[in-house]
Amino acid sequence: MQEIGQQSNKTIVHYDLDTFFVSVERLQNSQLIGKPVIIGGGSDRGVVASCSYESRLFGVRSGMPMKLARRLCPESFLIRGDMERYSHYSNVVTQIIAERAPLYEKASIDEHYLDITGMDRFFGCMKWAQELRHTIVKESGLPISFGLSVNKTVSKIATGEAKPSGEKEVPQGVVRPFLNPLSIRKIPMVGAKTYYLLRSMGIETIQMLTEIPMEMMQQVLGENGTLMWKKAHGIDNTPVKPYSEQKSMSTERTFEHDTTDVYFLEQLLVGMTEKLAFQLRKQQKMTSCITVKIKYSNFDTHSQQLRIPYTQFDHTLLETAKDLFRKLYQRRMLIRLIGVRFSHLVSGTQQLDLFEDTSERVRLYQSMDQIRSRFGSSAIRRASGLAVRQAIDEMKMTAPSIPSSPLVINRRY
Amino acid sequence: MRFVVSSTELLKHLNAISRVISSKNTLPILDNFLFKIEGTTLLITASDLETTLITKIDLENSAADGLIAVQAKIMLDTLKEFPEQPLTFNIDLETFAVEILSANGKFSIVGHNGEDFPALPSLAENHNALNLPHDLLLAGINKTLFATADDELRPVMNGIFVELSTEEIAFVASDAHKLVRYKRNDVKYTDKASFILPKKPASLLKSLLPREDSDVKLEFDDKNAFFTLNGFKLVCRLVEGKYPAYNSVIPTNNPNELVIDRVDFFTTLKRVSVFANQASNLVRLKLNPSELIVSAQDIDFAISAVETIKCEYEGQSMEIGFKSTFLVEILSNLSSEHVKLKLSDPSRAGLLLPAEKELEYEDVLMLLMPMMINA
Repeated sequence: MQEIGQQSNKTIVHYDLDTFFVSVERLQNSQLIGKPVIIGGGSDRGVVASCSYESRLFGVRSGMPMKLARRLCPESFLIRGDMERYSHYSNVVTQIIAERAPLYEKASIDEHYLDITGMDRFFGCMKWAQELRHTIVKESGLPISFGLSVNKTVSKIATGEAKPSGEKEVPQGVVRPFLNPLSIRKIPMVGAKTYYLLRSMGIETIQMLTEIPMEMMQQVLGENGTLMWKKAHGIDNTPVKPYSEQKSMSTERTFEHDTTDVYFLEQLLVGMTEKLAFQLRKQQKMTSCITVKIKYSNFDTHSQQLRIPYTQFDHTLLETAKDLFRKLYQRRMLIRLIGVRFSHLVSGTQQLDLFEDTSERVRLYQSMDQIRSRFGSSAIRRASGLAVRQAIDEMKMTAPSIPSSPLVINRRY
Repeated sequence: MRFVVSSTELLKHLNAISRVISSKNTLPILDNFLFKIEGTTLLITASDLETTLITKIDLENSAADGLIAVQAKIMLDTLKEFPEQPLTFNIDLETFAVEILSANGKFSIVGHNGEDFPALPSLAENHNALNLPHDLLLAGINKTLFATADDELRPVMNGIFVELSTEEIAFVASDAHKLVRYKRNDVKYTDKASFILPKKPASLLKSLLPREDSDVKLEFDDKNAFFTLNGFKLVCRLVEGKYPAYNSVIPTNNPNELVIDRVDFFTTLKRVSVFANQASNLVRLKLNPSELIVSAQDIDFAISAVETIKCEYEGQSMEIGFKSTFLVEILSNLSSEHVKLKLSDPSRAGLLLPAEKELEYEDVLMLLMPMMINA
């Protein structure tokens, strides 16, 4: 219990945009206001990326398969979503926060942590946080909630309790009484599996979790158990980091129908790698590690990675990705997902190779990138990656079900 | 087997050849020096299988020819501590016992059978042979060695490519980012021939050659090369494989030409590159008539630097990016007062040449590939 006493007196606010994607869609189309809205991949296999509170009344939850969501709430508006627009609005909000907050961390597309320790000398932290919330709502038009407390975990839990469009302050003295009656599901790191495990142990509320010896939690869940136990006690000393460097970039695709079509898979891989490589060059980064991941229809996930010299050029990345895929895909089993990841990123630009990088190729890449920057990343692509798109378009016209990408929220960690 | 030799003389020779011995040998015998007496000459050999270096000492007092291998480390460590004095080596070729008698002591070592030492490779019947001036060979190695690669995937790039023809001799090295070509037309060969000299023997030659005063006899076939110097003989296995067609990647049409004071350019780069991104070391050169703007920035730390140097520039205004470390390395390996930078466009290699020739018959060309900018 000594550690609780050691907690520094910080004031952390957690801002979370309410049903962010839905709110953005509503800004565009006022008819959606007050109606159940579901955002997610258009196909049956996609998952719900975001859903409005109206649809939640029907039991729709984010992360749920679209097929199920549609069945639960047939009258809801289904929207495929537009990641680019969402990140634009996300940046608008970040900008407002950046102008006012002394120290902030963008935790995801719709979440920010602010360290406002010391701001109480003015009008009080709660007052300041409320004002910021009103400014955000007024300037961006997006509803937002916040939780104000002593550390990131408690603030986040408080935000969850404050939603929708609410605010909650949990001062130092009432952290434990606030947490105790809540379900363990509310602890940020407890996912479906951990929840199931803990419930099977008979743990329901956070208070019950705090009553378990820390050693036991460690035996059951390892390091995470200790961390979870601390969080249940309202202990979390992680600082608000203003900027965390991106460690990797990745993309993945789940298919409408599981497939063994190697030709199709390779085309898709080319398209995905190409898009990712463009992102890499746009951010002036280079990668030295490529990972290719596949998930078989029985959910067996396999991945292979390879270290390469630092590069940002398509041709090297494409060849490596294809080689890895060929090495990886040995079993003639149906595949449901394929993914590519670039890691070990450094910022910098490509040193050209005397024997490999001809001037023509360099200028081709520069021109292609210029076209992409102006007209979008799919404006120009390799024919070997394009065939897939054509195939999809053809299928779209003939069959009602089409393979398509689920909306993936790329969280920056 | 018995001989008497001066302690400092012996140490000098052993030190010179000891650099061949690799710290992680595959064969234990390679941790030894091989001593061989032939009449009044003592031949000492050190080898790492790839490269072998032999030195010769003329003896005044020796008896019975023979062959013995002695631990290199023990020899070096003891000899280092001797003042100048004659040492007597008594070697029993039956038991391989080595006895070193000094003015006031006796040192006993157990040697190894000299016959176990790997034999020298032999040259093919129709091998190439020529004499090279020692200063030419030294200049060729000095100018090019820094540009060799460290690339396991492309072993041919890890050496210096020496190309002989009826008109000239060319030394070429490249790591695919930079390339150096050093040509001399004061030495000609009767035929076309070439070989790739690995880095290790090249750097050994670099340290041995300054002490030479006569021509070096070079013999080579497609596997090995023998360099016979005054007191040394260096035998090395050559890098096998085909050297890339380097001439085709040297751009020939370079309408933009900059002439600049080498030292000014060098010191400016050194200063500005401090502010470059540590991972990429990118410096930008902006070329305008009569001035060169060198700039660098590191966004992560919000630092930047820019400097303008006077120069003569003929051509269109352009901006090109280079890795500062490479550019600095090239400039430090040129020796002329002014350098000429020839460019065609920002995605093609830039040529760096000495603006004024030091020697009538030499031709130095250094080339550097740019980095992609404003991608």
